[in-house]
Amino acid sequence: MAGPLALALVLGLAGLSYAMRATGALLPNLPAAITSRTGGLAPALLAALVAIQLTGPNGVIHLDVKVPAVLVAALLAAFRAPFIICVIAGAVVAALLRAVFHL
Amino acid sequence: MRQILLAAAPIAIAVFVFGASFGVLAVAAHLPAWSVVLMSALVFAGSAQFAALGVIVAGGSVLTAIFAGALLNLRFVATGIAVAQSLPGSRLLRSLLAQLSIDESYALSVRAGVPGRPDGKTLLVTGACLYVVWILGTSIGAVLGPVLGDPKRLGLDAAFPAGFVALLWPMLSGRHAVRCAIGGAAVALALAPFTPPGIPLAGAAVVGLWLAR
Repeated sequence: MAGPLALALVLGLAGLSYAMRATGALLPNLPAAITSRTGGLAPALLAALVAIQLTGPNGVIHLDVKVPAVLVAALLAAFRAPFIICVIAGAVVAALLRAVFHL
Repeated sequence: MRQILLAAAPIAIAVFVFGASFGVLAVAAHLPAWSVVLMSALVFAGSAQFAALGVIVAGGSVLTAIFAGALLNLRFVATGIAVAQSLPGSRLLRSLLAQLSIDESYALSVRAGVPGRPDGKTLLVTGACLYVVWILGTSIGAVLGPVLGDPKRLGLDAAFPAGFVALLWPMLSGRHAVRCAIGGAAVALALAPFTPPGIPLAGAAVVGLWLAR
């Protein structure tokens, strides 16, 4: 990625993140009914990101090495493995399948 | 002070390793090393940085990546309100100090505080330690990344969905979170075939807010 584009990515994300963390100090009187709902965002977005990365442009599951990689990571996460172990295991599964089956 | 640091130590190791893995993956995704370290210094939110990078690796635009990362950080509006009353100084200073709140420092400050009032000192000390460790880890990962070789042969493209699942799983305690996850994935899949990138994530965010309780 070119430098200016990377800088735009960093500054855009940083600016919005700053504003979100600063909201409490600058506007202390936001109604709790709004803020308590933000807890639902993270699970919904992460599940959406997984779903999009595992499917092709037509919305149907795209069977490549990412599918077994995610299944292994999910299994490890279910057994409370640390984040980094899940990530490495997913990458290793994908790399092995590519090397062995030339996928 | 000593108690605070002892409680933060194991978390600091985990944050360091997370930072290093982010650095490796970001450099492998062809982001310039300086921008990777700058992102960790200015954003200081692992899951948001990871999500933004995942969007880029999957071929999404910079705007979609910012959007995905920022939406994941919306929970900091809620934690920011909770910690604001425990922080010292003027509004401006408090808005700066609130940047030290991440999931881990917030959790420790809630544990050290009284109900409804997180402990400000714990938040600041833990947050500052984790901030340093996060940047250090990212820098080391960004330096090591190019040594490792071809990202696709190493399976690094699969590392992102694997990481998303690993971030998601511990959140799935309670019916509400499961409902939000299933709803978010379903809406994203329904929108993906006929909307531009970013819209499926926006749909998932709306469903997440709607189903949160």
